[in-house]
Amino acid sequence: MDGMNYLTVAYLGMIAGIALWTWTVVNRSKSIEARLHAVETSMGIVASDADTIAKEQAE
Amino acid sequence: MAGRSAEALLGIGFLGVMTTLYLGFQWAPSVSIDAFESPAAQRIFYWHVPAAWAAFIAFGVLFAGSALWFFKRSPLGWRLHVAGAEAGLACGLMTVWSGCVWGAAEWGTPWDWTDVRLNTFGLLTLLALFLVLGRQSQPDGVETRDTFSTFGLYGFILVPFTYIATRIWEIRHPGPVIGSGDDSGSLSGDMTVVLLIGALSFTVFILGHILMSMRITGLEQRLEQAQHQIDGGK
Repeated sequence: MDGMNYLTVAYLGMIAGIALWTWTVVNRSKSIEARLHAVETSMGIVASDADTIAKEQAE
Repeated sequence: MAGRSAEALLGIGFLGVMTTLYLGFQWAPSVSIDAFESPAAQRIFYWHVPAAWAAFIAFGVLFAGSALWFFKRSPLGWRLHVAGAEAGLACGLMTVWSGCVWGAAEWGTPWDWTDVRLNTFGLLTLLALFLVLGRQSQPDGVETRDTFSTFGLYGFILVPFTYIATRIWEIRHPGPVIGSGDDSGSLSGDMTVVLLIGALSFTVFILGHILMSMRITGLEQRLEQAQHQIDGGK
């Protein structure tokens, strides 16, 4: 393989990696947000942002 | 509001990273054909170095988060730990990937097991992989968090070690071209501009990812609490 082929392989891997990682994170955020909204709406509850494990430790 | 700023940073950083990739490919000057075995592959440098820089930021966040959780039991500390490990893994893999491709083109081998810089950075990436996979496979609890935070704290020793490795033992990995402390830097003006754009873009990009990841951890905790309430807990 010559240098240009190596460069192409590196670029394709990098672009695919960055795009996949960003898409996964944004998608995960939207999916959890939707699930949380559905749970809170259907049960009529509002969960707080508190970290229960940290709270238990503080108590 | 926090979610919007995280998404904005992520978007700006993403555009910056893509611009860096373009500039490195199209605009940055070519290097001398005598100085490199593979002058074309040298263009990987413009985002290999910023990716490594972003990985060091992520490992710094991992260390700070681990310390905050371990010593202060801070919920923010745990979120920083999770975000730092995920971002460290992603940037570590980008750095290792680009380094391996460049090594294959320039040295004829993607990895050199005798090179200290390569191996300590590889270990850092493996540590991040262990923390990310470990958190997903273990139930969340104080013992789990304490164990992973300890790894985050002790693992950070590899960061300064990796940084100084090529200054002490320059085996295969090239020495520093910026901030070397002497006049041995070999970058032209245009090369430095592309490298700085890359460093800035990757910094914004990684900060966006860290904020997004912290937000996701917060949402996961909120979802868990809502499910706990449904199950009849307090």
